[in-house]
Order: sequence, then C-alpha cells, then structure tokens
Amino acid sequence: MPRPTNDQDRLFTRATSDYGAALERLARAYEANDADRQDLLQEIYVALWRSFTGFDERCSVRTWVYRVAHNVAASHVDRQARRRRQEFISLEEIENRADEAASRNLARQQVLSELYGMIRDLAPLDRQVMLAYLEGIDAVSTAEITGLSASHVATKIHRIKLALSRRFREGGSDGA
Amino acid sequence: MEPEQIGNEGVRELWQGQKTEGVQMSMEQIQKEAGRFQRRIQWRNRREYVISIAMTLFFWWLFLLGHDVLVRVGCGLVIGGNAYMVWHLLSKGSLGVVSENAGFASWIEFRRRELIRQRDLLNGIWHWNLGPLVPGLLVLIAAFARFAATARSSIKHPGVLVAVDLLVFIVAFAAIGRLNARCARKLQRQIEELDRQSGTGQA
Repeated sequence: MPRPTNDQDRLFTRATSDYGAALERLARAYEANDADRQDLLQEIYVALWRSFTGFDERCSVRTWVYRVAHNVAASHVDRQARRRRQEFISLEEIENRADEAASRNLARQQVLSELYGMIRDLAPLDRQVMLAYLEGIDAVSTAEITGLSASHVATKIHRIKLALSRRFREGGSDGA
Repeated sequence: MEPEQIGNEGVRELWQGQKTEGVQMSMEQIQKEAGRFQRRIQWRNRREYVISIAMTLFFWWLFLLGHDVLVRVGCGLVIGGNAYMVWHLLSKGSLGVVSENAGFASWIEFRRRELIRQRDLLNGIWHWNLGPLVPGLLVLIAAFARFAATARSSIKHPGVLVAVDLLVFIVAFAAIGRLNARCARKLQRQIEELDRQSGTGQA
C-alpha cells in the first residue's frame, strides 16, 4: 500500500467536507439496505483516500470524487445484481412508465422515496446521469464522469426531465 | 413546498435539501480500513494458492508413490501446468476491486477495461487453465492404460475402462471450455452495449 502523504490527507479531508453530503445521497441511491449502504459509503471513502495518491489535477476534484464514487458504487451494485439476478431498466423505459406511475399530491418524503425507487431501477450509466442531474452537475462534467459524449448526456437529461415532470407533475404537499 | 411547484427544479431542490447523517471518517479510521482492505485482498490471493498447493501436494505424493516412469512424468507435467496456471491467475487474474486509478477513468472506460480483461481471461482458458493440464493428464491416462494391460492388473476390461476415462476427460474439458466461451460472448455483448452508449463503437 502506498505511504499516506500530507497532500493525500488534505485532498481527502477537503473532498469529504465539500462532497460528503452528496456522497451520502449517492450511496443511498445505490443501496437501499442500511448496513450495506454504510459499507458502501465506507468503501467509497477508502477508495477515495487511496485514489488521491494519484491525483494530478488533470480534472477537477469534484469530477475526480464523483468518478471514484460512481466507479466504486456501480461495481458494488453490479456484484449485488449478479448475486440477486436483478435486471435494470433504461431511462427510455422509465420515461415510458412515468405516465402510468404518475404520483400526485405526495408528501416530500414520499416523493423522495419514489425517486430513490426510480433511481435504483436504472442501469448504472443512466443512474449516474440521473444522480449528476439531481446534484446540479452540468452536462460537460457529467460527460467527464460517465464517459458519455456531451450530446448523449444532453439527450439523457432531456429524458430525465420528461420522466420526472410526468411522474411528479402535480407535486407534493409539505407533509414531511 | 406548494402543490404545482414540484416540477423538475422542485425535485432537484428536494434532492439536494434532504437531510444527511454527516458521516465522517477520521484519518485513523480510513487508514485502518485501507489496511483491512489490503489484508482482504491478500487473503483472497492466498485462497487461490491454497487450492493449488493442495493439488500440487496430491500429485507430488503420487509422484513419490509411483515407480512407473510414465506416472512420474505425468505428475511432473500436472504440477508444472498447475504452477503456470497460478502464476497466470495471480499476474493477470481477477481481483475485482476498484484500483487506485479509479479517478483517472470515467465509468465507461473503467467498466470497459474490466469487461475486456474478464473476456480475455475466459477466452484464453485453453491457454492458461485447461491447456497446461492436458499433457500431464493424458500421460497419466496412458500410464493407467499401460498398467491395466499388464498381467499384474486384475481389471477385466482394461480397454473399456481406459476409453471411459478418456471420454470423461474430453467431455469435462470440452464442457468447461464451452461454458467459458459462452460467458465470454456475454461479456462481449456488454462491451458492445457500452460502446453503443458511449458512441465509440470500438468493440
């Protein structure tokens, strides 16, 4: 194992302080089970700390953090899906199903719970785009994180917006 | 939040505004976990060694026990083939862990690299796994056939028994080879799907 450096520790501390909440949301979106989610978050943190030995500022810290987190989380989900023989669906299917599953007058917590359900059904790549969209990451950075072309990301974001607006079109009461 | 306001932006606000637990890990915890992670990998590698050592010990025992030169040659070849197999697995084999370079690669590159590695490992199974064992096992079957044909043997139908041995060996190896080829084709389809999604078409 490479020796920890001050830079590695400094970058890690900065990353977890800036993106800790986003990483928690990401872990929650990948793993429904509490204990597995804690394990996943821990796995992400360890991978992030290890990865900072090689950080060379060719991309922003934010892109780096999301790449590591998604690579760890998607690999984790892939292992779980193989074990559970789980099938994922695409954004196209989510969009098609949005009308049938349209949810109206939901409390915030219910909206969030349905949103998490929607995300966990998605295939890893679509899931990453959806999470980046929800975190407010622009299309260019999303392309850097996922490896998709910017135009491909834009198309997917368009689908996400349609699916979300159809599914939650009449929105929620403030019931949380 | 009022009804009708939720829309896309509302969902985004709701997402970003949700409560988090503020999970923090101290540097000590991180380093401890990283050490544990490293030990887990070492243990997995050791497990692969244990199976191979057991196999080597078995054939070494046969080697010492057998006075027939063919048996000794067969055992030696199996031990050699087994050593090559373990070397290949440990130098190119699957750890299935996210490397320290995870930040350099987007998910598509990262995933593609892993799928290609697994596909090539499966496609090359005759080269690194089954192939190295074939000469030793064939020599051992030949040694058995020679023994069965001698007067010292009490086997009634030596020819049939040897033919059955050979058949079992061929069928088992062919089945393993086919199964791996099928898995490799499945991985190739996943690589093509990734390429389709990324628009690179490199498969």
